[in-house]
Amino acid sequence: MEEKIIAATAEEQQKPMPALTHVEANQEGYRWVAITAMLFAIGIILHTVSPNVGGVTPNWTIAMYAIVINLTRPPLTRAIGIGFIAGLTLVPSSKSAFPLGNIASELCGATTCCLLVKAFVACHMGNWRLVPFITGFAATFASGSVFTFILKLVLGLPLRVWIFAMLPVVAVVGVLNGLITFGLFKPVKKLFYAQEGGEDK
Amino acid sequence: MNSVVSVTDFYFKYLRSDLVLKDINLEIEKGSFTVIIGPSGAGKTTLCKSITGIIPYYTGGDYAGDVKVLGETTKGKKVSDLAMKVGLMLEDYESQLVSLTAGEEVAFSLQNHGFPPEEAEERTRKALEDVGLPGRESYQLDELSGGQRQRLALASLLAVHPEVIVLDEPVSAMDPDGGESLYKLLGKIREEYGTTFIVVEHRVEFVLPFVTDLIAIKNGEVAAQGKCEDVVSCIYEDAELRPLLPDLWQIKCNMEEKTQQKFALWRSEDEAVKELKARGFGKGVRA
Repeated sequence: MEEKIIAATAEEQQKPMPALTHVEANQEGYRWVAITAMLFAIGIILHTVSPNVGGVTPNWTIAMYAIVINLTRPPLTRAIGIGFIAGLTLVPSSKSAFPLGNIASELCGATTCCLLVKAFVACHMGNWRLVPFITGFAATFASGSVFTFILKLVLGLPLRVWIFAMLPVVAVVGVLNGLITFGLFKPVKKLFYAQEGGEDK
Repeated sequence: MNSVVSVTDFYFKYLRSDLVLKDINLEIEKGSFTVIIGPSGAGKTTLCKSITGIIPYYTGGDYAGDVKVLGETTKGKKVSDLAMKVGLMLEDYESQLVSLTAGEEVAFSLQNHGFPPEEAEERTRKALEDVGLPGRESYQLDELSGGQRQRLALASLLAVHPEVIVLDEPVSAMDPDGGESLYKLLGKIREEYGTTFIVVEHRVEFVLPFVTDLIAIKNGEVAAQGKCEDVVSCIYEDAELRPLLPDLWQIKCNMEEKTQQKFALWRSEDEAVKELKARGFGKGVRA
């Protein structure tokens, strides 16, 4: 448990007040597991049942781990683990020519999402409302690009097909996923963190 | 005084808030039935969470001072370590239910604490019996009514035999009969096991027969604390806290003010009527 002494601010004092000891919340060790598991489960169900409209289907699994990464802001190693598990969950239901490509693609997607979230936090923009949209889009685009590039290699397709046929579809799915991540982030945050902060005194 | 909870010079603020608790000093006596009252946002729930160790170690935040439960400081203790000594039932008790059946729900905390299966089973049976749900081990949670689920949450606390039970507005979502029945149950448990109860309650009239001590909190500070007999008039004098007292006690204080006489601390309307009649009030008034 990390503790450090911080000085009390003068404005808060009505009478002499002792220095306050700062304590980091000691809950994330368990909570992120529950959040990740639950959102993965939702993602897998939606991935299984959502219809294909005009050849485009949102990738719910990516949207869900993008929400998880935005919510829990995990270290990079944990994000890689999340990506690996996400890839594994997609392999059994994958109808692609190379299902194992999902593992590599989701590793890239989760890593991209995690690095972007960290970058926004480092720039003091971690709470900007568009962060979930941008990270959801970027994770999907990174993941989709890697997956389709693996497909291109496996099927021996020309580079032009990948660039002009596959990447635009990936970009469209990315926008869809960005919107899903953006739309669900606030409600999920409210659901999981309802008991915290200074609101419920 | 044989105190089970001792809070000394305690200050607390959440990570992104102003001070919520300021200079809290209080002692809660073993076996007492202490009711915490105060306006909304005064810090009552935060105080409950401090007593159970959730604050500051689970939520995070900045604090000063010390909270001791049964003589041991909560500093650095995990919530699960304290759960054997202090049970907490939140206002949203449904969020504390995690299992499919009533028996599994009560046994869950016991199993987490490493009780052998036979003992867990026996404690589960007894706890359900104590809260008026005998033989309901196999009932699905959705087969229980709201009041029964609340009793089940209480049974989960009782099963580990904590010495202190903290309840945050336990009857806020109940009708008057349900509220009265729950407090009767708590009174019975206190009598039987000597458990110390700390209850946050807006409707003190429900706990009139049982309450022994009062703590009034205002703007994060303790405005009054002590035996009911000693603090009721002090609370009555505070215009902001006065409406939080039950009508019966407000009438008593008002009459004391007007007549310059002292009255007993009435626990029921019958008691009030009896004393007033004995003192000659109401003579000549026709029913």
